[in-house]
Amino acid sequence: MSQAIPTPPVAAPPPVEPVTGRERRSRLAGFLFITPALIVLALFLVYPAYYTIRLSFYQSDFLFNFTHWVGLDNFKNLLTNDPDFLDLSAFPPSGSLVNNLRWVIFYISVSLVFGLGLAVLAVRVRYERAVKSIVFVPMAIAATAVGIIWLFVYSPDINQGVLNALLHAFGHDPIAWLGRDDTVNYALIFAYIWASTGFVMVVLSAAIKGIPAEIMEAARADGAGEWAIFWRIMVPMLSLPISIVTIWLFINVIKVFDIIYVMTGGGPGTSSRVIAFTMYYETFPNLKPGYGAAVAVIMLILVLPVMIVNVRRFRSERVIT
Amino acid sequence: MRRRSLLVTLAIVALVAAVSAIVASASYGSRAKKSAGSIEVFSLWGGSEQDAFLKVTKAFTAKTGIAVKYTSGRDFTTDIGARLAAGNPPDIAIVPRPGYLASLARRGVLKPLSSMGFSSTYMRARYGSSWLGFGTVGGKLYGLPAKGNSKSVIWYRPQTFKKYGLKTPKTFKQLLAITKKLKAKGQTPWAVGDGPNQSQWVLTDWFESIYARQAGPAKYQALFTGKLKFTDPSVTKALKTMTQIINNKYVLGGIQGMLGQSFVGGITDVFGKKAKAHLYYEGGFVGGIAIDQVNKALKPGVTINDFPWPTINPKYGSPVTIGADYAVAFKDNPEIRQFLTYITSGAAGTIWVSTGAIISPNKLVPSRAYPNVLVRREGLQLAGAKVIRFDGSDQMPGAFGDTWGFALQKIAQNPSNSNMKKVLSGFQKQIAGQWGT
Repeated sequence: MSQAIPTPPVAAPPPVEPVTGRERRSRLAGFLFITPALIVLALFLVYPAYYTIRLSFYQSDFLFNFTHWVGLDNFKNLLTNDPDFLDLSAFPPSGSLVNNLRWVIFYISVSLVFGLGLAVLAVRVRYERAVKSIVFVPMAIAATAVGIIWLFVYSPDINQGVLNALLHAFGHDPIAWLGRDDTVNYALIFAYIWASTGFVMVVLSAAIKGIPAEIMEAARADGAGEWAIFWRIMVPMLSLPISIVTIWLFINVIKVFDIIYVMTGGGPGTSSRVIAFTMYYETFPNLKPGYGAAVAVIMLILVLPVMIVNVRRFRSERVIT
Repeated sequence: MRRRSLLVTLAIVALVAAVSAIVASASYGSRAKKSAGSIEVFSLWGGSEQDAFLKVTKAFTAKTGIAVKYTSGRDFTTDIGARLAAGNPPDIAIVPRPGYLASLARRGVLKPLSSMGFSSTYMRARYGSSWLGFGTVGGKLYGLPAKGNSKSVIWYRPQTFKKYGLKTPKTFKQLLAITKKLKAKGQTPWAVGDGPNQSQWVLTDWFESIYARQAGPAKYQALFTGKLKFTDPSVTKALKTMTQIINNKYVLGGIQGMLGQSFVGGITDVFGKKAKAHLYYEGGFVGGIAIDQVNKALKPGVTINDFPWPTINPKYGSPVTIGADYAVAFKDNPEIRQFLTYITSGAAGTIWVSTGAIISPNKLVPSRAYPNVLVRREGLQLAGAKVIRFDGSDQMPGAFGDTWGFALQKIAQNPSNSNMKKVLSGFQKQIAGQWGT
């Protein structure tokens, strides 16, 4: 097999020098320096990952023991026989996997549009700093607190919920945003967008500042309108930071849990569950760690390609600069 | 050269520090074992229920010098499961579900009370046999009935009833008539809090109260012990009866309002300073929460009152459904035994019931210890009931009580025949084979 791969031309290997005592000691130092990190990684990342993957092939008791080997049954069950996870029998399809897809589409696109829009516009005003601080503040709030704040916003009580107070002012009956399965997911997504737009804005705004002013001035001198400058110059020049932010948002959205736990507990019924919530629910309250581990593995499989792309991209960046 | 060796030294120091930190944290669990004279009690109570319990633990500490650390977690199956998996369970947990208790006992993580010095004569002198029965698994008693509540009462605003000339109903038909009359007067009859996060048990209690009275106690017991399927027509019938009240017309905010409101929020809708609805169904503990937590201005019997759940099929009368919390021991030592002994004493029960938050299943607690007419009447209802049935969803194995609650939320949102059938058969498929595990 390895012969089939054409090997790139390699420069002649440097002449092997005898390892001196000093060099050996410096290698030892390097090794000593990374050992703590390796131990911590092995203990808190590699081992749990191995344990989880192994567990996903078992029907476990709630003490996380490997009680009963079931092979791929957990996965089969999840994908074909668990309407709370994936239900394709009706249109539109439902289940946590579908909800998560909803999150991916709406959360990422709206956060990006808001973040980019604010970044571009904020640069143009005098009170830029104030605007940015206000938008950034939610980033500093814990997700659980964000959830509680939005519980108030969405409250069906018009004396408590801002949104329903507004509706009431226009003569509309209050809507329990978190009590209907057709609104609950979007209500949650919006709360989370509120919490992460600030981050998108700050990153992109820094990138905008990095675009050389000469390019913009040259474009203006050539008669380009602001719209053209935005689409033809800013967006292409921001493509790298935008893609990095998108990946960050994607990873964020695949593992979203806290805000759902605080605001709806996956309800009403099971209609606002996402993958991470199902993992938690099956593992702990439902006392089926093996099944929960299978959900975790599916989650890992979904995130992995994005991570690989991300790491590749960083590597290629390093080569360029 | 000097700098290099300095770096090496630093690296070694960092390594040693990291390793010792890990070792220290790994042995933390064993070293942090309770020093003598202190125990940890875990339960799901917060708010006024927690305050009431803390009065009991305080009296215990004053008497014995043993400190009690109370840990609260609404999500108790998660908390207990995680702590068991970590090998660090609380000393004592007080849990509301015999089904979950049995799941724990079958896995051998609980201490049988007989091995802790509680003889069956001792227990029977204090608790009725049906109470002890729900704490017994495989012939051994694991759960000590700590507190109980009737789930067969409906709460109402006496002022409203006076204003519209309504009488407390004896039958479900009369209850429906009252509901319709209030609606005709432009009022919202009911508030239900079955909403976001951990209130899904409220609908399960609605279903159980109806089912016990419509299908009868025998079928009730069969259904909630796995001998009758959830696809049985009697289940659909009870659900249809339930949706005669639980619908967009009679419930505050409609079904979505119910699913957007929490259990305590629903109580506030009826007994808060500004009443938005007039009737609320949940167990006897509603009184304590309403008076101590929601609105301190409430006067028992005058501005808050309850009536027994009306009968549906006269043949079955009004069987009382109860909810109860059982104390279980994960460990055994003299302090834990002392605490459990104290909980079974009349003195502890008297302190506890005097808070108005609970009913004591303990025969040694005198009825004069109850602070107001509401709890005294509830105590009498429990003592005088001909037929007692335990909260059905709490008898389900593991966490199926929650799953059943979610299923009912789905039915409430879409009570069509086809959806009922779909949800019920789905639920039946999930729970079949899980009974007794």
